[in-house]
Amino acid sequence: MLKKRLIGVVTVKDGWAVQSFGYHRYLPLGKPQWLVENLDRWGADEILVQCIDRSQSKSGPDFDLLETLAGLGLGTPLIYSGGIASAEDGVKVVQAGADRIAVDSLLHDAPEVLSELGSKLGVQALVAAVPMRMRKKTPCWYEYRTRRDLPLSALGKVLGHGLASELLVIDCQNEGNAFAFDARLLDALPDWNMPLLVFGGISDVAQMQDLLARPCVAAVGVGNFLSYRELAIQQFKKTLASSALRPALYAADFPH
Amino acid sequence: MTLGIAMPVATMPLSIAIVDYGMGNQASVVHTLRSLGYRVKLAASPDGLDDAHLLVLPGVGAFPAAMQALDQRGLVDYLQQQGSQGRPILGICLGMQLLAEASYEHGYTAGLGLIPGEFVPFERNGWHIGWNTIACRPGDALVAAGAGEAFYFNHSFHYQGPEHFQLARAGEPRPCAAIIRDRQVVGMQFHPEKSQAAGRILLQDLINGLIYA
Repeated sequence: MLKKRLIGVVTVKDGWAVQSFGYHRYLPLGKPQWLVENLDRWGADEILVQCIDRSQSKSGPDFDLLETLAGLGLGTPLIYSGGIASAEDGVKVVQAGADRIAVDSLLHDAPEVLSELGSKLGVQALVAAVPMRMRKKTPCWYEYRTRRDLPLSALGKVLGHGLASELLVIDCQNEGNAFAFDARLLDALPDWNMPLLVFGGISDVAQMQDLLARPCVAAVGVGNFLSYRELAIQQFKKTLASSALRPALYAADFPH
Repeated sequence: MTLGIAMPVATMPLSIAIVDYGMGNQASVVHTLRSLGYRVKLAASPDGLDDAHLLVLPGVGAFPAAMQALDQRGLVDYLQQQGSQGRPILGICLGMQLLAEASYEHGYTAGLGLIPGEFVPFERNGWHIGWNTIACRPGDALVAAGAGEAFYFNHSFHYQGPEHFQLARAGEPRPCAAIIRDRQVVGMQFHPEKSQAAGRILLQDLINGLIYA
């Protein structure tokens, strides 16, 4: 049976892992590789590394970071996002160590590149990362660079063609705040035949349970709240044992 | 083994050559195999691949581009010859698909033809992404360690071929072949190198089983 996933999310800005609050306030946590190494050791089902300043600064993917992460020999699947502006970028990111890539700015700037990426990497390697927030009881697609709210119909035009395999819904308004993910964002989404990965303000087991109980939700992503205690993944998984997640892993499970 | 490669003795590290044809990320495969105690190298030419006990064919990407990349490096004939002569070969994810006779990804493309069968898309062009448990053929020691364990899958085409080549199958909602084998050639549809403890254990059993068979 296909398991639902608990994704550890590491947000990177200016080369440092940061705690992000609502896409506007950032507190440094340390080197990204330290956090990624922990998530790998703790048995996360997937790790998302999102370099949030690479597209806006047009500096391209962070290949130095990818090289460092590749050197860790991760046993956990890695999704990378940040600065991917062309099919060539995407292919190089995978060659540098990512298993999949997530794109956000590209959905606005050049959705046709997604099609090209799909033909080179396979659509299963592509995740559409979509910051969303509620505006007057209506969910909107947030363009963080211009700070504009776009209607979901605009997103539908891009995603309706099967250009990505999964949709990462980021509650950008509540990101960084405990127990704050706004599930109304999911209620209003049309059926694009894409499993949903949800992230932003998810900190609590009951909240994870509710989200994972939705058939359309394939994974929950947790960022800041994994950094507050040791072995956080195991703790969450132990409590969520009935939520179709893969069981927690412990050191004794690994061959020496 | 019939290729002039000496059978390893128990105290000698087994050597593995990873076929480097420019498709996807080999770093994790290299790291995992080294951490399991194997001598590992990457090689892009028959000369570099010749002296290893086992060949690993990894891969992420599209089938036609991968076959083209193998062909450009003169590896299609080489791999076909090695496989048919009994050299252990292990294909991972796209690498498993390349071992079959053909795929319909972006049209029909012939594969290496080392395992009978073809790769076809899932219904409604769906995908199989995430950790899925597998059921293994009872009594097969090569894959017994994987029975009931979850492994990381990430693919949109699946194997269609005779049942007796299928050593393990993935469960719902995308039931499909997870491990296929014909003689010393084995394909794993999931990523053992990204499947943490379960992947490492199964990978070790499978490699040792193939080499010492």
